[in-house]
Amino acid sequence: MTRLIDLPPAQAKRLAELDCPDFATRPWVTGVPLAERRVAIVSSAGLVVRGEMPFRGRDPDYRVIPSNTTAPDLLVSHISINFDRTGLQEDWNVVFPIDRLNELAAEGTIGSVAETHYSFMGATDPVQMETHARELAGRLKSDRVDAVILSPV
Amino acid sequence: MSALGHYLEEEGIATVAISLIRPQTENTKPPRALWVPFELGRPFGPPNDPGFQKRVLVAALRLLERKAGPVLIEDFPHDDPRAQPDPEWRPSFVPTAPAAEGADALALRLEAEVRLLDTAHRRWVAQHGRTTTGLSGLAIADCARYVADWLRGKAPPSPRDGFSPPLMLRFAIDDLKAYCLEAAAAGPAKPSSRQLGDWFWNGTAPGEAIHALRAAYLEAEDDRLKLIAGNFMVPAARVRA
Repeated sequence: MTRLIDLPPAQAKRLAELDCPDFATRPWVTGVPLAERRVAIVSSAGLVVRGEMPFRGRDPDYRVIPSNTTAPDLLVSHISINFDRTGLQEDWNVVFPIDRLNELAAEGTIGSVAETHYSFMGATDPVQMETHARELAGRLKSDRVDAVILSPV
Repeated sequence: MSALGHYLEEEGIATVAISLIRPQTENTKPPRALWVPFELGRPFGPPNDPGFQKRVLVAALRLLERKAGPVLIEDFPHDDPRAQPDPEWRPSFVPTAPAAEGADALALRLEAEVRLLDTAHRRWVAQHGRTTTGLSGLAIADCARYVADWLRGKAPPSPRDGFSPPLMLRFAIDDLKAYCLEAAAAGPAKPSSRQLGDWFWNGTAPGEAIHALRAAYLEAEDDRLKLIAGNFMVPAARVRA
């Protein structure tokens, strides 16, 4: 078990008190039952398909991860070194639960798995990501995605 | 992460976030989030435990069917069973005391220990079918050489277009860490991240080299190098006073 109290005090304080956007709205989208939903993963782990441009510092855009990407081809280019990487070195589902999603689709718990998944680099100021996130929503809709699981590190 | 949920939801896409840092999630107030009591870097819990991972994923996805919100933040009740140390784990090698002091001697040890880990790393790749090294685009021996040259004070040029030398150093260090930690975890034991980190940061030549690089470039004139040395080489929990 690791909670904030297990981290160095300065790091825990910085994480707990990180300046977060103060949004004026509280959006809430409802939809069909889970068994009919099409689910995509959007990560903030700085994931990148091997051979493509890694996140260089705090790039505000996102990288595309086609659903046929295999585990050997997914790398982590997050700028932070203050999170564990040994778990995802052993099993990508620790951060990118694509095998679990495919199993849930096969057994009917969810409707289907998206054609494409995405990753941002979470240490970027969220305000800088906004334009890219809103543009991404259009891509998700064109893939008929109606549920997103957001996976941080 | 919670902010991304807010933007996507405003655009009409339902979202649920895994939360690793509850105070941040409480501040951002996303539409839906499942807080998990796991180590940073493990949002779905233990590696190679499909049943546990699936319970986390389903607990999160089920929040999409709830009527009460926004804001909906729930807690996942189970701890990560892999957070405990494995007493059966043994590191790939036990570092010995250096025969000589100084950056040049450490650079030589760094390259030698990376070569020493080759067999264990091959075992890791055979076991897991993958490696997470590759950000730098360099073979691991070249990574070790590149990092060693920085340690020797050579400030080597970047071998890749679009990657500044400090960025290349960061990626080469990331690759070295991944290589060493993968090699150290090869085999049937299930070490915790703390066991692996204790081994790497407290005596291996690559770990010592990264500590030394941080100290050497903490006051560098190049702002990018200074930033990387201060924040992106040695984890906060491992920085020496």
